[in-house]
Amino acid sequence: MSGEHDITFDAMGSHVRLLIGEPGPGLRSAALAAERARETILAFDAALSRFKPDSELCALNEDPREAVPASPLLRRAVRAGLQAAERTGGLVDPTLVGEIEAAGYVGSRAGVQGASLGSALAEAPPRRPAQPDPRERWRRFLVDEEAGEIRRPPGLRFDTGGTGKGLAADLLAEDLRGYSRFVVDCGGDIRIGGADALVNPFEVYVEHPLSGERAFVLRLGHGGVATSGLNVRVWRGEDGRFAHHLIDPARGEPAWTGLVGATALGDTTVEAETLSKAALLSGPEGAREVLAPLGGLIVHDGGRVEPVGSLSLRPRVRWPQPAEESGLAA
Amino acid sequence: MTDATRTEPARRPARRPGPGLVLWGSVALFALLFALVAYRVGVSTAPSAAARPSLVRKVVKRRVVTTIVPTPGRSSVSASPASTSESGAEPIVTGAS
Repeated sequence: MSGEHDITFDAMGSHVRLLIGEPGPGLRSAALAAERARETILAFDAALSRFKPDSELCALNEDPREAVPASPLLRRAVRAGLQAAERTGGLVDPTLVGEIEAAGYVGSRAGVQGASLGSALAEAPPRRPAQPDPRERWRRFLVDEEAGEIRRPPGLRFDTGGTGKGLAADLLAEDLRGYSRFVVDCGGDIRIGGADALVNPFEVYVEHPLSGERAFVLRLGHGGVATSGLNVRVWRGEDGRFAHHLIDPARGEPAWTGLVGATALGDTTVEAETLSKAALLSGPEGAREVLAPLGGLIVHDGGRVEPVGSLSLRPRVRWPQPAEESGLAA
Repeated sequence: MTDATRTEPARRPARRPGPGLVLWGSVALFALLFALVAYRVGVSTAPSAAARPSLVRKVVKRRVVTTIVPTPGRSSVSASPASTSESGAEPIVTGAS
């Protein structure tokens, strides 16, 4: 892992890390590319944060018009959220802003000491898989690229949080394509690329959500990997009950499904992030189905780590797809 | 049955070429063919202004081999504030954030 320019900074409520190798012909140095990428991430965060009142996302959510002019970045972020909902049948629902605020997640929890996940699990209600909201409110969002607008019923709010970090990683990956190899790590949602990475892959450790130990090592030469877990954003609400940020769309409450973590591989980070969330929300049985095609890991409430799909085999051979051909990356 | 007797001129035995002729003939034929082939090869590889440029297409098949190895040990999530270095000393970790 030596030889890459390595920079870490805080953005999007998480730590962002960039590892950038040698530039291709005509490209700026890795250090300059890293600085440019940092500026991109900060601009991304400023535009799409649910917790920044002056963000374009908040302006969209507050706008009384039905059709709202939107920047290309916001349109792409909304498209990514809608594609995630479509892909998961509405399980990863970007319109649960009211529900997540009702659960107590009103402001950023970056740097906030969370509650004990072990205690939360002990008091959590009976486990059951989450279900999509039959109202399918996300289908009422429409991105009009020709008009440069987003249309939805006024008052229906959108949250890019479900796919935001993955999209940020994928956007930077497009800019870093000409470098020998690179890693974009947006708070654990990771994109890997570069020709050299195919022959000299990166090692990515999967953190165990209960013990904090390294549960597995993945050697990845291409694509995305993302993890969703309950261990970071869990708190005790005003009603005394424990809550976390992954909402069951059908019930509008935090989902307790029997899983505390899910890691997914994908051709893009948005895809991996979508699949990891869908897996965690689906519970053990559903998660196996969600993760089987591209591979992943699930961590049960009791701490057992279960490789799923192709990750349960080794060696594992996966054919990469260029990012621009992936529907979720578009 | 006639008792005529026909006389035919005695056949002379065929003259077989001498070994020297065979040897030198073979050498000469070989040299001739060799020169012909060398000439043809030379002509075909000689640069020509009228030669059409050839397009070489390189087909690269990429595959990623991912292995998964259980590893005991402590996790070390990169949690430092903004920092910059030239070598990635910290491991890359995926976890909830």
